[in-house]
Amino acid sequence: MFIGELQRYVTRLQNPNNVSFLIQKVCPMSLANISVHQVVKNYHKDRIEIPVLNGLDLTIPAGQFSVLMGPSGSGKSTLLHLIGGLDRPTSGTIQVGDFNLDRMSDSELTRWRSRHVGFIFQMYHLIPVLTAAENVELPLLLFSMSSHERKQRVATALQVVGLTDRMDHRPNQLSGGQEQRVAIARAIVTDPDVILADEPTGDLDAKTSEEILNLLNILNKEFGKTILLVTHDPRAAAHGQRILHLDKGILSQEKEAVCVT
Amino acid sequence: MLYWIYLIRNLTRNIRRTLLTSAAVALPIVIFVLSTSVISALNSYLDNAAKQMRLIVTHKTSFINPLPSGYRYKIEALDPERKELTAVCGMHWLGGKVENDPRLLSTLAVDKDNLEACYPDYHFTQEEMDAWHRDRQAAILGPETAKQFGWKLGDRITITPSLPPYTPMEFHVISTAEHASDPVTSWIRLDYYFDALKEHGFHGDEWIGFFVIKCNSIAGLDHYRRAIDELFANYPDPTKTRDEKSFVNEFIAQQFNLPRNLAILASLTVFVAIMAAMNTMSMNIRDRINEVATMKSLGFSSRSVFVQILIESMMLCVSGGFVGALIPYGLFHWTPLGSMTIPVIQALDIPLLVCMKAVLIAVGIGILSALWPAWLGAKLNVVTALRYLE
Ligand SMILES: Nc1ncnc2c1ncn2[C@@H]1O[C@H](COP(=O)(O)OP(=O)(O)OP(=O)(O)O)[C@@H](O)[C@H]1O
Ligand SMILES: [Mg+2]
Repeated sequence: MFIGELQRYVTRLQNPNNVSFLIQKVCPMSLANISVHQVVKNYHKDRIEIPVLNGLDLTIPAGQFSVLMGPSGSGKSTLLHLIGGLDRPTSGTIQVGDFNLDRMSDSELTRWRSRHVGFIFQMYHLIPVLTAAENVELPLLLFSMSSHERKQRVATALQVVGLTDRMDHRPNQLSGGQEQRVAIARAIVTDPDVILADEPTGDLDAKTSEEILNLLNILNKEFGKTILLVTHDPRAAAHGQRILHLDKGILSQEKEAVCVT
Repeated sequence: MLYWIYLIRNLTRNIRRTLLTSAAVALPIVIFVLSTSVISALNSYLDNAAKQMRLIVTHKTSFINPLPSGYRYKIEALDPERKELTAVCGMHWLGGKVENDPRLLSTLAVDKDNLEACYPDYHFTQEEMDAWHRDRQAAILGPETAKQFGWKLGDRITITPSLPPYTPMEFHVISTAEHASDPVTSWIRLDYYFDALKEHGFHGDEWIGFFVIKCNSIAGLDHYRRAIDELFANYPDPTKTRDEKSFVNEFIAQQFNLPRNLAILASLTVFVAIMAAMNTMSMNIRDRINEVATMKSLGFSSRSVFVQILIESMMLCVSGGFVGALIPYGLFHWTPLGSMTIPVIQALDIPLLVCMKAVLIAVGIGILSALWPAWLGAKLNVVTALRYLE
C-alpha cells in the first residue's frame, strides 16, 4: 500500500502541471493518536534525582504536525525519546495508536519502533560506510521482504526526498542537507505512523532548512504521517499546525491545530 | 546481502588496523599449524614404534655408555625356545662423515643375522637380504640420507666413523630402505666394523652400544622389559630397558621437551591473538558508538547488535587464520621446503586437517575476543549514546 501511495505521489511530482497538492489538505490516513498521560521522568546522577518531566499530559491526534519548543534542557528530547520508545518514563503511561508502550517488553518495544516510528536526528546519524541507498535500506532488513521489494521501496523513498541521483554516494560525499534527506528517506522507508524529528534543521542553513521542513510538510499532508518536531527555530515552528512550549516541566500551547478531522 | 556488505565494509574502515589484527591472528595460527604438524608427526612415528613391540636395552647410567657384548647370550637365555623373545640385535652407533662435508651421518653398526627379524616392518626384499649377508661391506641407507647425499643403489661410498678407528671405511649401497620408519639412520654390518677395529689395533668387540629386542606380544614386551633389568641389576653394568616408543619419547623429551614446549608455545600465542583481536574490536565498537545507537534506534535488537559484532570479529580473525594456515601449508606443499629434513620426523607434512582445525581456532579467537565488546554494544543505552553525540 505504501509503495502504491508513494508511487502515486511521485508520478504527480514528476508532472509539472500538478503542484496544487502542496497546499491541498489531505485528511489523515494513519490512526496513531499519541497520548501521554501523567508522565514523570527523573534522571539519577550520583544518587541525586533530577526531575525532567513532572506529570506531563499531552494528546496529539493522528495526522497532526506538532512542534515542540522550549529552552535547552527543558526535556524536549527526553519526551521525544519516551514517545518513540527509546526510553521509558519513571511513571505514567504513553499510548501510540493501539500500543500501550509501558505494557511492552524491551524486545516488543524495539520491534514496535522498527515498524511504527521514524526518527530524524540533528546529526543525521548515517552509517558512513554505506551509500545513501544502503542507508535507506538498512531498517528494511528487519522486515521479511524480498530484495526486489526492498530496492523498490528504497528507490521510492529516495525519490520522495529528491535524491535519486545521489543514491550511490556515501554520506561524506553529500552535503548536510542531502544527508538529512537521506535520514528522512530512511525514516519513512518503513512507512511508520509517527515521525519524530529532533532539531532536524539545527545544523542547516535557512534555505536548506526550508527544504527539509517542506519535505516534512509533504509527509504530513500527503501521507498523513503524525509528526512531532522539536526545534528552536520559530520559522521552522511556523510549519506546524500546533506549537507546544515545554518549560520547567510545564507544557503550554501557542497555536491551535489547523487541520483535524 | 546488505547485512554482509555492512559487515565487510566495517572491516575496511581502518585497513591498517584490520591488517595488523589479521596478522596478529595469522602468526599464532602459523605457529599452531607448524607445532601441531610436528607433534602429530612425532606421535605417528611413536605409534608406529609402539606397534613393532621392540625393546631397547641400554646402560642404566646413560645410553652413551656401552654394554658387554656377552649380554646378548644372557638375554637370549631368558627365552631359550624363542617363543616371546624372537630376536636380539646388537647395535653400535658410529655417526660418521663424508670427506669435505660437515654433515654428520647417523650410522649404526648392527648384528647382521638379527636385523631382519627385528625389523620386519622394513619389508626387506630377498634380494636385499642376500646382498646384505653376502657382502661384508653392505650398507642399508636411510632413504632420506640417500636422497640428501645423492647415493644410489650399487654406489660405493666412503664414510669416516666418528669412533675408533676414525679411518675411512668403504661401503656398498645394497638398499635404501624404502619402508623405513626412521628414514635417516643407515645400517652397516657389525662384523665388518669390529674387523676394522682389530685391523687398526683397537680392542672393542667386547663392548656394544645397545640391544634391540623383538618381542612377540605386548605381554612379552612387558614381561621382558622388567626381566632383563632384573637379570643385570647386580652386574657391574646394569641395564635400562624400555620399549621403542618410550625410548624415542624419552630422547625427544630429554633433548627438547618438544611436544610440551610446542603446545605451550601454541596456546600462548593464541592467547596473545585473543588479546590483540579483543583490543581491535573494542576500538572498532568505541569508534562507532553512534552507529550502534542508530541501529538500535532503527529497531535492531540488542541481540542482533551482539551477533553482528561477533560476526565482524569472526570475519576479522578467520581472514587472519586463513592466511596463517595457508602460509605453512603452501610453504611445505608447493616449495622446496617440503623436502627439508627435520630430526626424528624427517620431512614435515602439514596435514589439511590441521589447517582446518587452525581456521576453527581462528573462529574461536574471533568469538572470544568479541564477547566483551559485543556485550558492551548490546547493553548500550541508545538515549545516553545519542545524547553524548549531539
Ligand atoms: N542520562 C541522563 N542523566 C542525567 N540527566 C539527564 C540525562 N539525560 C538528560 N538529562 C537531563 O535532563 C534534562 C533534559 O534533557 P533534554 O535533552 O531532554 O533537554 P532538551 O530540551 O532536549 O535540551 P536541548 O534543547 O539542549 O536539546 C537536562 O537537564 C539533562 O541534563
Ligand atoms: Mg534535545
